[in-house]
Amino acid sequence: MVEPTETMKNRAMPRLLRRNARLALAVSLGLIAATSAYSQGRGGPPGPPKTAKAAALYDLTGYWVSVVTEDWRFRMVTPPKGDYTGVMLNAQGRKMADAWDPAKDEAAGEQCKSYGAPNLMRVPGRLHITWQDEQTLKIEADAGQQTRVLHFAAAEEQDSSWQGFSKALWEMVPVGRGVTPVGSLKVVTTHLKPGYLRKNGVPYSANATLTEYFDRVSEPNGDAYLVVSTTVEDPVYLAQPFLTASHYRKQADAKGWNPAPCSAR
Amino acid sequence: MKRFQCCFLFVGAMAWGQGLDFSGRTNLPAGIDMSGTWYPQAFQDSGLITASGALVEYGGIPVNEAGRLYALAWNAARIQGRQHQCMGYTVPYTYNQPGNLRFWEERDPFTQQLIAIKHYWQISEGTRTIWMDDRPHPPAYAQHTWSGFSTGKYEGNTLTVYTTHLKRGWIRANGLAQSDEATVTEHFIRHGDRITYLAIVNDPVYLAEPFSRTYTLGRNVKEPDTWLYACDDGEQILGRREDQVESYTWGRHPFLREFADKNKMPLLATLGGPETMYPEIQAKFKDPQAMEAAAKAELTPSPGAPHASRAADPNPHDGEIHVLPVQGNLYMLVGDGGNIAVQIGDQAPLVVNSGAGQLTAKVIAAIRKLSEKPIQFIVNTNFGADYTGGNVQLRAAGHDPSVEGSFFSGQFADAGHGATIIGHQNVQNHLLALQKPAEGQPSDTFLEGRRRKFHNGEAVEIFYEPNATTDSDSIVHFRRSDVIATGDLFSTTAYPGIDVKNGGSIQGEVAALNHILDRTVYQHDEEGGTLIIPGHGRLCDEWEVAEYRDMLVIIRDRVQDLIQNGATLEKVKAARVTADYDDRFGANSGPWTTDMFVEAVFTSLKNPPKTARPNGR
Repeated sequence: MVEPTETMKNRAMPRLLRRNARLALAVSLGLIAATSAYSQGRGGPPGPPKTAKAAALYDLTGYWVSVVTEDWRFRMVTPPKGDYTGVMLNAQGRKMADAWDPAKDEAAGEQCKSYGAPNLMRVPGRLHITWQDEQTLKIEADAGQQTRVLHFAAAEEQDSSWQGFSKALWEMVPVGRGVTPVGSLKVVTTHLKPGYLRKNGVPYSANATLTEYFDRVSEPNGDAYLVVSTTVEDPVYLAQPFLTASHYRKQADAKGWNPAPCSAR
Repeated sequence: MKRFQCCFLFVGAMAWGQGLDFSGRTNLPAGIDMSGTWYPQAFQDSGLITASGALVEYGGIPVNEAGRLYALAWNAARIQGRQHQCMGYTVPYTYNQPGNLRFWEERDPFTQQLIAIKHYWQISEGTRTIWMDDRPHPPAYAQHTWSGFSTGKYEGNTLTVYTTHLKRGWIRANGLAQSDEATVTEHFIRHGDRITYLAIVNDPVYLAEPFSRTYTLGRNVKEPDTWLYACDDGEQILGRREDQVESYTWGRHPFLREFADKNKMPLLATLGGPETMYPEIQAKFKDPQAMEAAAKAELTPSPGAPHASRAADPNPHDGEIHVLPVQGNLYMLVGDGGNIAVQIGDQAPLVVNSGAGQLTAKVIAAIRKLSEKPIQFIVNTNFGADYTGGNVQLRAAGHDPSVEGSFFSGQFADAGHGATIIGHQNVQNHLLALQKPAEGQPSDTFLEGRRRKFHNGEAVEIFYEPNATTDSDSIVHFRRSDVIATGDLFSTTAYPGIDVKNGGSIQGEVAALNHILDRTVYQHDEEGGTLIIPGHGRLCDEWEVAEYRDMLVIIRDRVQDLIQNGATLEKVKAARVTADYDDRFGANSGPWTTDMFVEAVFTSLKNPPKTARPNGR
């Protein structure tokens, strides 16, 4: 028996393909029909869009305590004036930080300058997160008695405030087909009153934009952590974006919840 | 043909549009593929980059008493020691490094299934493998490494990784240690060109609570190169003694308040502990006097009994003998008292120690699986029951053809009938005194220096280590395989059982460990190279031996200091001179307690042996 050569094999291939072409076409048409029918049955006529609460990828509600293990010396105590290690301030920003005067802030009634949205998640304390309504997530912080409102649908407000206006969405990650949707809560905050990235007067301006991702992860022992990834961009005082990540551990209840007013020192 | 191809493409496109997936797998969120080069972003904790921190800067770290005392004793001069100069970086500490990390995937070339996610970190040239194929973690008696053994899975948009088998490393390189008992859970959360990383360290030895912390990695597309990290140790200080390990005396740290004063914070806050992680600590700052008083109590060991070890026992204690391939010709047998080393090759097996004698039949069966030939030699590294208990049975199962038909046959009718047991003369003396059967005693003895053989294709050196745990200790170095069996001199489970009445001493023990370190060479950054089979515990390399030596020198120096100040044995025990190591090695019950160890150190310092190697060598 003669072994087929490579040339013989190559010549034979088109014949084999032609022989099977009709079969392949039939199978393919069948596939289209089947998947089309599956799609119709799965989707049906489009219904009303899900609310943000109904579309939530994970549950962020409840009480969370900050675990302060990063930037400890900048967060647990008020760092010395002029210590802005790790924050890429430009010359104007450094000038502002070097001029920090907490007494002046107190006199101006601006004790909450370090409790604005760009730093609030860094302040040691507890959060109480609830759905205010189907399209609005509320974050209350006991430190400074601040409340952040994350809007999934509301029109943008123009007034500036410590917490600014926060626009939220569930940002989906591209996944393989048939995979449960995954993603993160993304929040972009603007309309901020000028404040501090750290308690010792490291500044951000009214032009600052805060972008955050809120993620939830779980441990084998049942602990759940809220991880907040933060980017502050400020063309006025920052030479480059300021990135931090803060984390909180889930509490079973309100234990330790201790509302306290803002402090400038 | 063209029509056929077009038709197939059309069908494929239609099917894709309808929701079918031809990838063959559907469990990976494509959006969090981390392949590429990433760089740690130094915005937070930028003062800690390369991760040192100031001395006594422990705020926010949930250390327990042992962890705090370890750090308070740590003297930066210690890194002048040879084995500390090229220490590797462990997880999660390594993510605080100033250097690129390059991630890539390893996939099965035939199925394209994801096998592992790997990454190389520039600092210390570490390569980490995160297994994604559901393989089990190795047994507890397997070797530990800087990057440990990691398994991962995708959870939502997060890669979650679980790591065991880590070497003792740093939480911070200012003395805040992460023990080799630590396990780490990590979450890599990708948002575009940013990865937020959350690690949770569980360390029963040095932490009172899990330590969680974040880092941020940014994609580095402009400068993706990852450099090398050339590190070889050298003489940083000429004439530095091998038994010199710098440490601070508790309560007399010369830089205790430097960080606190500079940053205008109470000392107590800088000493760490779980309470320093939570908001409530800020209220305590308002009472400086109370904080100062509380701080003083944290600077020295609390009164009371020594702590018992919190480390897991690596011995399975399941009535079975477990075989671990070491390297070259060597295997480690675990399960019957002390570890047994088995060398195989063209000749018959050479076995180091025979275990406790409880499972000897299974030991013999395990060795038979490694080699069909009967055991030819048994080396006893000392006379302890955990090492010689199986001598009689193991010898009987062996055969030494090298003496059969030799001139020995004229003197001994049973020459070659059974394996030949080799050991220092004092092993024989002690077993004789204990009235152990003659057939379980070494018949091939030596008196000093070394006994050497060339067996199974390699040089085998048996070195006598005088006055170490006893006066009968030896180590066995398999030179080609590059493995040292230490017998009782080194353990990962307990303080050394220094038996002063039978000739042991802390001086000889330290000298023996230094002798082992004289013979070891690491492959890269204190990892690999010469492997160490300890008397008890897991497979090691020189890093663990150096750590053990350091511990013993530090404890020795503390006891010596107290003796010089007139302390009695009771006062030395009450001072808890082992407090920073008890959570790892201590025992309050069983055959070898912490008190017995401290007494052995005290006694041998009061009455130094005459024959231990001089100057710690």
